[in-house]
Amino acid sequence: MERNMTRIALFAALIAALGLIPSLTLAFGVPITAQSMGVMLAGAILGAKRGALAVLLFMALVALGLPLLAGGRGGLGAFVAPTSGFFLGWPVAAFVTGLIVERLRSGPLAVTVALASIIGGIVVMYAFGIVGMSMALDKTLAECTLLVTAFIPGDIIKAVLTGLITQALARSRPAALLSRS
Amino acid sequence: MTGVELRDIGVTLAGRPVLQGVSARLEEPRVGIVGRNGSGKTTLARVIAGLVAPDAGQARIDGADMAADRRAALATVGIIFQNPDHQIIFPTVLEEIAFGLTQQGQRPRAAEAAARAMLDRFGKGHWAPAATHSLSQGQKQLLCLMAVLAMRPRVVVMDEPFSGLDIPTRLQLMRYLDGIAAQVVMITHDPGQLRGFDRILWLEGGRLIADGPPDAVLPRFEAQMREWGGLDDLAHLAG
Amino acid sequence: MISLISPVETWAHRIPAGAKLLALSALTVALFLTDRPAVLAAATLAVIALYLSAGTAFLRQGARHLRMLWPFLLLIALWHGLTGQAQAGIVIALRLLAALALANFVTMTTRLTDMIAVLTWVLSPLRRLGLPTRAVTLAIAMVLRFTPMLVENGQRLALSWRARSPRRPGWRIVVPMAALALDDADHVAEALRARGGILNDIPDGRN
Ligand SMILES: Nc1ncnc2c1ncn2[C@@H]1O[C@H](COP(=O)(O)OP(=O)(O)OP(=O)(O)O)[C@@H](O)[C@H]1O
Ligand SMILES: [Mg+2]
Repeated sequence: MERNMTRIALFAALIAALGLIPSLTLAFGVPITAQSMGVMLAGAILGAKRGALAVLLFMALVALGLPLLAGGRGGLGAFVAPTSGFFLGWPVAAFVTGLIVERLRSGPLAVTVALASIIGGIVVMYAFGIVGMSMALDKTLAECTLLVTAFIPGDIIKAVLTGLITQALARSRPAALLSRS
Repeated sequence: MTGVELRDIGVTLAGRPVLQGVSARLEEPRVGIVGRNGSGKTTLARVIAGLVAPDAGQARIDGADMAADRRAALATVGIIFQNPDHQIIFPTVLEEIAFGLTQQGQRPRAAEAAARAMLDRFGKGHWAPAATHSLSQGQKQLLCLMAVLAMRPRVVVMDEPFSGLDIPTRLQLMRYLDGIAAQVVMITHDPGQLRGFDRILWLEGGRLIADGPPDAVLPRFEAQMREWGGLDDLAHLAG
Repeated sequence: MISLISPVETWAHRIPAGAKLLALSALTVALFLTDRPAVLAAATLAVIALYLSAGTAFLRQGARHLRMLWPFLLLIALWHGLTGQAQAGIVIALRLLAALALANFVTMTTRLTDMIAVLTWVLSPLRRLGLPTRAVTLAIAMVLRFTPMLVENGQRLALSWRARSPRRPGWRIVVPMAALALDDADHVAEALRARGGILNDIPDGRN
């Protein structure tokens, strides 16, 4: 019980800490932050349920008014901005990522996790993000999809990194991989 | 039945025996534990505090099994970890100290008052709102000590509690410990810190190799450490 | 960790957090239900007046929190300028501005402890279902404790890397950082157990 709770709190903190890393700018001037990688890692390492709880805990802290989102943003505004759909999709993204890592046990871990992160952390997260954006900006889903495509390459890099990091962690701390225990 | 009672304790970690056949009944007010790195001191401290149930044997305090009865343990035994960063749970000093008191059933406001009183006792009242992560290593150690002492446990287990403390703080703390009724079990590498203690346990390779009053154990311990330290054969140092 | 609360103490700081949050939810829903430019313009003006009532310094501070909207406002202006639906563009822009500014206003005028009190109150029915609500407040405190610790560990590891390598650590630093963090989390779990663990029958933050 205590152990689960500290790990959930730890991953919520990891998502916060990753938001403090200065964002990288890709070739086309698209900023990518490490924060959504934290969401993928939470799902991949903690598994579906605990991963989603870690993300929810992080979101609660943002709602309480802490500037934990990349760029020092936070507060209730994070839930009504044009990009809030992505944010609201985070717990589902972590859950789906975790679920896939839990269920898909054949094949190399790095590949499975990268794949899970692409499905959970990109497909699912973008579905939420695009719906939210289309509501906020009053545009069609297709138009919004077009708007966000520039961010997909950056997120694919993050999914691959999530796979590599999870594999390295599984080697150095096999017991830490709750999604496979 | 009073005191810490260890009966034939055995602990195995990752398939390796870390403690074997450790037996002792500790009734003295001040007990020191010495031994080389990796000899099992921290593990024994965890067993005494009930954080690890031994794989063999029995550990009890005042007749109760601390690993099984965590609620009794809360009032009976406090432990101060070797690394304060492993112990601090809360973002501010006041919360960290008050937490254990609310755990013991005190109302939040009473707990906070008691926490402030503890800080004042060490002249650190101004620390109350400070962020725990902004404290220095030694200050963190003092915070951990205050947090555990505020709970007034019957037995205080301390794992190298003074390694980062400056001399005035250490002396102040020793005086404080002298003034309370709690039984102290202290792990240290410095025999000088065990002056005035009543009994010393010496662990080596997970076994108790000496147990007795300081006059009998410490000179032998120091001589042995010097002898090993004088050797250039590092193979011996591989714990 | 500093909250986004404004250091400028305003009248709104003294209004109960629950009331502010309730009003915020109702008003945000209302903003998304209307399409009339006049209503939305009036709402935006009202929000600006709300900020102004707390002083110009507060207004400036609030404006800074809206910076993230600029790319979207620009996008809307371009899009609707090109398609010639200016009115629809204005509706969307005003709604975005008003909704975000209103939410930020509540955040800027509500203390963290008051927010946590509302959260525990909202969660309290769950306690009857056996959910340990005290664990939630404990977990929140732990995140605040862990975040600077993680950042520090990361910096320490990066230093230790640079002391022994001419190249920058990059993402590789995340692996030892996460491993260290997991160990620390387990130690803190033990520390929590040493002080009684998660006991559900202990009164929580409210007296
Ligand atoms: N989690 C663990 N898993 C496996 N082995 C462990 C674990 N913790 C400790 N050990 C081993 O148990 C032995 C005793 O460790 P312990 O921490 O009790 O030593 P110690 O006497 O406190 O040492 P030090 O003076 O360095 O603090 C060591 O050999 C260590 O490698
Ligand atoms: Mg030790």
